[in-house]
Amino acid sequence: MELLAKTRWMPVPQRFGAVLWLSFLMATAATGVFFSILDPDDLRYCVPFPEVSRMAAYSIGFFLFWLLTAVSGVLAVTFTYPPPPNPDETPHSNG
Amino acid sequence: MDDTSTAPKAKATAASSVEQSLYEKREKIYPREVHGTFAALRVTAVSVLLGLFYGVCWLRWDGHQAVLFDLPARKFYVFGLTFWPQDFLLLTLLMMLAALSLFFFTALAGRLWCGYACPQTVWTEVFLWMERKIEGNRLQQMKLDKAPWSARKLRIKATKQFAWIAFSLWTGFTFVAYFTPATDLLAKTAALSLGPWETFWMLFYGFATYGNAGFMREQVCKYMCPYARFQSAMFDKDTLIVSYDEARGEPRGSRRPSADPKELGLGDCINCTMCVQVCPTGIDIRDGLQYECIGCSACIDACDDVMERMNYPKGLIRYTTEHALEGKPTRIVRARTIIYSVLLLGVAGLFFYLLGSRAPLGLDIMRDRNQLYRERGGLIENVYMLKVLNLRDAERAFEITAAGIDGMLVDGPGEPVRVAGGDVAEVPVVLRASESELPERSTPVTFTLRAADDASVSVTEGAKFLGPGR
Repeated sequence: MELLAKTRWMPVPQRFGAVLWLSFLMATAATGVFFSILDPDDLRYCVPFPEVSRMAAYSIGFFLFWLLTAVSGVLAVTFTYPPPPNPDETPHSNG
Repeated sequence: MDDTSTAPKAKATAASSVEQSLYEKREKIYPREVHGTFAALRVTAVSVLLGLFYGVCWLRWDGHQAVLFDLPARKFYVFGLTFWPQDFLLLTLLMMLAALSLFFFTALAGRLWCGYACPQTVWTEVFLWMERKIEGNRLQQMKLDKAPWSARKLRIKATKQFAWIAFSLWTGFTFVAYFTPATDLLAKTAALSLGPWETFWMLFYGFATYGNAGFMREQVCKYMCPYARFQSAMFDKDTLIVSYDEARGEPRGSRRPSADPKELGLGDCINCTMCVQVCPTGIDIRDGLQYECIGCSACIDACDDVMERMNYPKGLIRYTTEHALEGKPTRIVRARTIIYSVLLLGVAGLFFYLLGSRAPLGLDIMRDRNQLYRERGGLIENVYMLKVLNLRDAERAFEITAAGIDGMLVDGPGEPVRVAGGDVAEVPVVLRASESELPERSTPVTFTLRAADDASVSVTEGAKFLGPGR
């Protein structure tokens, strides 16, 4: 616990920057792989919006990937934080 | 003598303030302008790289834009080469090549990438240059920022913002010009008839440039860059790093140029803090190797300049290795560099082999989905749709043959299929076979696509022939 208390965490804006940028990189890679295998034109009849152009499909696909990777990044960062102390443990001191 | 005793203390406070500033609210860094060998090298690198980025999208090649990632048509043009989605492996190999080169050069010479080639460095350099041209040198900039708002300050700040935004928009335009032909894009921009996604990506990329190079700057390297965090894994004691020669410099202290440092008990560092003032990430290189150091060597240029004026030998801060600083020999050939170069050569070899042996044609076979098979005139009939891809830039004729079942009849286009350069033709082909030749429900067959003018250019793909079975 002492070690955790001493650990300095990155400030919040920078943390968001880190998550956004790294998830952006991953989303770029995922978009590349996904759309090089799948042609959005072939999906035309499987999706409810057949009038979407390829360009729009790529862009929307990219942002969906980014959303996914960013959410998982935010969750991962949140979960690396120490949990709040249990209420019945806090008054305990090493006197 | 006083200087001698205070030096370690000064060093300690400098170190702790650097440590604190890491996670403190960020204070704007005003890097001082620097001239010298490495600054010239960086300006050259920046000019070449930005020249390529802003220039290449205007080059033409064989009637198309030389480098164009035509996403709507799913084709990438790179000068004489055309890449298709099925060439994805090549792209992956190219990425691996880039990563391995980064590892290799990092192991050899440290953060060369960060100091000279990273887009973050390159664009920040340009934004800093504009800032300097408009707001003046470091001291003038600091004074202007401290001064209360006035008409003059507003005018200067507005000019800077205008220049930055204009440059960012041009950058965004150039980025999109690699996906939509530049000349079309220019015409569309002039006519204000850009598509929604083109507009969006232009603004998105422009905004990213503006934010990263104008405001976030070294924050990107400190907090956001994965390479900055991992590069230390590629370092060893033989890697070139920008380093302060502590043995020679300490104890640091100011003195008159005429004074003899030995008499004063001082090292060669005159504690002028030039190396700190020029640092774009705001660190003190004299505190040792730090992960914030992007290896830009601005401090080398600054320090060499001071050493020259003091008539001391240059190189108090220099490119060196930990081994060299310890007085041991530096090895360039070592396990790490051998492994990286072997991997690099292997992947490069595979990449160029695959690139050279790409078949200039492709065949996709789809079965008719409506019917598995039908019987007609005592024969079993299967219908296929063949996608014939001409991966060359020029028109070509192709012959289609099929094999796999004895006595099978092929009812295809009859004559060679002409496909325009870089185009796809859909060709229906009907196969007929006698039921007596079909012992199973599914019999493998093959289709062969062959260039009419060159029999060695061919591709064979397998398919299934379905029947009633026995």
